[in-house]
Amino acid sequence: MRAQFRTRIRIVLVGIVLVAVLIVVRLYFIQIVYGQDYSDKADRQFASGSSGLFDRGSIYFTRKDGTLISAATLVTGFLVAINPQTLRDPEGVYREIAPLSSTTLSHDAFLAAAKKKGQVYIEVAHRLSAEDGQALAAKELPGVQVLKQRWRYYPGGTLASQSIGIVSYGSGDTLSGRTGLEKVYDETLSRSGDSLYKNFFAQLFSNIGDLLVNSRDAHEGDIITTIEPEVQTRLADNLAKVNQKYSSKESGGIIMDPATGAIIAIASFPTYDANHLKSVNPALLNNPLVERVHEFGSIVKPLTMASGLDAGVITPQSTYNDTGCITVNKATICNWDLKARGVIPMKEVIMQSLNMGVAWIAGQLGQEQFRTYFTKLLSEKTGVDLPSEGRSLMSNLQKPQQIGYSTASFGQGIAVNAVQMIRAEGALANGGVMVVPHLARAVRLNTGIERPIDWDKKVRVFSPEAARATAAMMTEMVDVKLDNGKAKIPTMSVAAKTGTAQLTDGEGGYYKDRYFHSFVGFFPSYAPRFIILLYTNDPRGVQYASETLDQSFLDLVHFLIEYYEVPPDRGVPTQAGAVTTPTP
Amino acid sequence: MYKHPLMFKYSAVALGYGMVATLAVIYIGLIAVVVSYAALTVEYSQSVRNDEAAVAQLEARYLATVSKITKTDYASAGYAKPVAKTFVATQSATALR
Repeated sequence: MRAQFRTRIRIVLVGIVLVAVLIVVRLYFIQIVYGQDYSDKADRQFASGSSGLFDRGSIYFTRKDGTLISAATLVTGFLVAINPQTLRDPEGVYREIAPLSSTTLSHDAFLAAAKKKGQVYIEVAHRLSAEDGQALAAKELPGVQVLKQRWRYYPGGTLASQSIGIVSYGSGDTLSGRTGLEKVYDETLSRSGDSLYKNFFAQLFSNIGDLLVNSRDAHEGDIITTIEPEVQTRLADNLAKVNQKYSSKESGGIIMDPATGAIIAIASFPTYDANHLKSVNPALLNNPLVERVHEFGSIVKPLTMASGLDAGVITPQSTYNDTGCITVNKATICNWDLKARGVIPMKEVIMQSLNMGVAWIAGQLGQEQFRTYFTKLLSEKTGVDLPSEGRSLMSNLQKPQQIGYSTASFGQGIAVNAVQMIRAEGALANGGVMVVPHLARAVRLNTGIERPIDWDKKVRVFSPEAARATAAMMTEMVDVKLDNGKAKIPTMSVAAKTGTAQLTDGEGGYYKDRYFHSFVGFFPSYAPRFIILLYTNDPRGVQYASETLDQSFLDLVHFLIEYYEVPPDRGVPTQAGAVTTPTP
Repeated sequence: MYKHPLMFKYSAVALGYGMVATLAVIYIGLIAVVVSYAALTVEYSQSVRNDEAAVAQLEARYLATVSKITKTDYASAGYAKPVAKTFVATQSATALR
């Protein structure tokens, strides 16, 4: 029994010794025989640990059929680094790397980096495609490391770039959202840097509850916007054309659902491509649609009209004596053509865009009522989910001089941002109720659950009757006046108003020959699906907004009718029969 | 010594060793499962990210195509707008049979 036991022990010992010898031999081959090969291989290692790669949630556009299209996502590729201590042929290496990426260091900078023999790691090129990176790694260039890299990518390029925003390094070494939705929803889009291993073990022995129900899953996710990519493209294209045709300083536009506040398109020109930030003018990173305020001019007149109707100081049948010009507090204000109209009804105020008419309504309202309406409409922040919303300039309505109220009634002397303006005008399209304009409709959590964002805060400013009566005047303006009646769509009621405001000269006065053009409209007039606001700042060689923006507005209206198959609301027989309408 | 049939066959020390051994095996197994789970999760999340990146390239092509179509001047391409549209009242599905 004991002898048998000894034999077994010897067999085990021999086995252990054999295994040890095998391991020693293997180590000898790895470290001594093939040591240099492995060292070179490690130097060229291109599959770096994934835990250090940048991670962030996506932002999506929503097509009309509900399909999500990435507005901001991640792309995986490679970066190139050199080890100056082992780099053998800097010139040859540079020739290999330079064509692969626009981010490669300049020739001189590369050679300077290669001479830094005290360093072992210097990054020389970023954002190589997967194919290029793997091809470069396969060349096994001594002293060249090809490492995995992940970065933010915006498939739409310039599409809604100022609203989507950018990700960049701030004062620290962490990438985070700096502008637009990237900034507003940074907490949702950011991903914690905990590796799965560390996290799992830490939780396993400390907080099993968190392991079962991950608290990060409750707030980390993707952002789903209301922006429709094809509508966005159409709006951006129209604005670019206007801006280039009239050499404007800038142009902007918003298309919104007036009932919900969902922004379907929001664009400005000039803009930038967030994939190529190195060449971007930093001033363009701001979103002018929320951050800049303008005097919008006559598109404010429908708001004055609705205020007068809502307060009961006028009715659609009211008349006034239009004298062409009036003097208020020693200042003279006139109609755009300086002409008097005599005694005319209210609808002519909108149809002919008469400054005297709205100034008269402001007088009927009185300063306190006028201030109350306009403060509610234009003074408050909209709550839009974009950062750095500009404050409106309404100080004229805090002064006792009537001239401030008279000019405010036709959109001069008060300045608001574009989102504030479309929100206020949206009340006319939405039965007198203002909604919260917004870009994000839901958060898609890591668990896959889609959590809608609540934007249900509504503010009533006008009665439905006042809003409808104003919409009727704006509809008649389109049918009769816009483009001399050629803009009328026989099968669709469209309400609109143009605005031409003089630009301030920065010295307390206004330029005589420089203007800010704006255009607002919605359709169908009495149950609107869309409201459109357009503007172009300082267009050259043209005076009125009806000349610069009407074609863009009408193009967008026809596009939206076709694209969303908006059913006709007039001019179509309800019984058997047909009606033929000319196309624009 | 008389041994009752229901009496426990092993000593407390032996039982202790057995339990420790069992717990050690379970612990090692748990670690193996955890490491495998984490490795697989990382691998799958990488795979998802790679697929998303590939989809992003397709989306970029889609959006570029939308932009190209929007910018196309159909008149210069030889197309003409229809001169008129005709709207007809819809018939019920029953009437069409």
